[in-house]
Amino acid sequence: MSNVARRSAGSSLSAFYRVAAVSVGLLAGLQASAHHSVSGQFDVSKKIVLTGTVEKVDWVNPHIYVHLKVTDEKGASAVWALGTVPVAMARKAGVTKESLLAAGQTVKVTAYPARDGTQNLGFLIRIDYPDGHFVSVNPDRL
Amino acid sequence: MNATRSIRGISLVVLIALSSGVVAAEKKMPAKPAPDAFKRLSDGHPDLNGVWENDGLSFINPQRGADGSVLCIVGCPQPKAADGAAAAAPPPRMAAPARPKYKEEFLAKVKDLNERQVKTDPALNCGNPGVPRIGPPAAIVQTPGQVVFLYSDLAGSFFRIIPTDGRPHRADAEDTYLGDSIGKWDGDTLVVEAVKIVDDTWLIDNGAFHSASLRVTERLRRVGDKLEYQATADDPQVLSEPWQMRTRTLRQSREPLAEPVACVEKDLAHMVDGSHHDNAR
Repeated sequence: MSNVARRSAGSSLSAFYRVAAVSVGLLAGLQASAHHSVSGQFDVSKKIVLTGTVEKVDWVNPHIYVHLKVTDEKGASAVWALGTVPVAMARKAGVTKESLLAAGQTVKVTAYPARDGTQNLGFLIRIDYPDGHFVSVNPDRL
Repeated sequence: MNATRSIRGISLVVLIALSSGVVAAEKKMPAKPAPDAFKRLSDGHPDLNGVWENDGLSFINPQRGADGSVLCIVGCPQPKAADGAAAAAPPPRMAAPARPKYKEEFLAKVKDLNERQVKTDPALNCGNPGVPRIGPPAAIVQTPGQVVFLYSDLAGSFFRIIPTDGRPHRADAEDTYLGDSIGKWDGDTLVVEAVKIVDDTWLIDNGAFHSASLRVTERLRRVGDKLEYQATADDPQVLSEPWQMRTRTLRQSREPLAEPVACVEKDLAHMVDGSHHDNAR
């Protein structure tokens, strides 16, 4: 485990989220997307919560990647690469690259960690903003 | 006044006829041809021009909060009913499409490709999915004698220029991802035939390979303000019968066709197993 703030997310999630983000999911794109399972790459039995600032968003297919800079209590920082939905899905929902960047504000991200042991790699399933609103993804429906 | 009485009388007769199950009288009414619900071009063919929205994301049900902010992108639970009843489940993904039927001697190959799909699927790493896997066009530019299909695919921008002036397939065409295509009109239906498609694409997910003998026939038909799209893959070298993709109903969009973002695959190197699912297509 990396030296970043990391804890079980179970107790902190709202009732809405507990309904929304549950099980193993699969990825699909707009048209002729290829696909593989989220669970083939990420450990969907573990949820981690990371708090930090979004340094960069790779607005690319097949999956958007959010790069989150996380600093622990000792001042050590790490940048997490967090995959999430394809661009077409985000666009359809009204999520933009700018909204993910959050203008440098501190955000809380819930994610599944990588199964292959790669540090600082995860799948973003929820992002909470300082104003209280959030965006969630149910990987079961991807 | 007399006219009013006559109309009332006719109405009464029709009413009686309907109520008694006798509707033959209606059939004698001269049938007035219904006007087209779509425009036609100067050559008389239906106008297929425009951006056509695929139904591939119909299972997305984004939710917004009262302030308009996005709450959920996909798999969103439905809001609770006012009476406190349980929330409805999010919309399901579309049903898995029918699978192509292979000759007995190729079943093992399909099974093997399917089981190793994460490594074998040519489209998984941003590859051109080819015809017919790429699905219906995202936009059509139609002129007399030619149609152009435009694709804004996950893997990138692609196009097909399809003559409809009666010329045959090109004799010197090389095998390509989208093949050599010609079109013709069957009444109001545009029929496009593609051949010479490279044999390293799949018809659909899960190992559905094809041979270089693949011949794909697409049928596009305006239905009111929508466009119905069908594609049939005929590959007698490996399939035991022609395979028809799920029929797609496309909705005309007023939005400009968006250029796809770059396709940069980052996941495959971290896949621990090959688990995957059926995509509706």
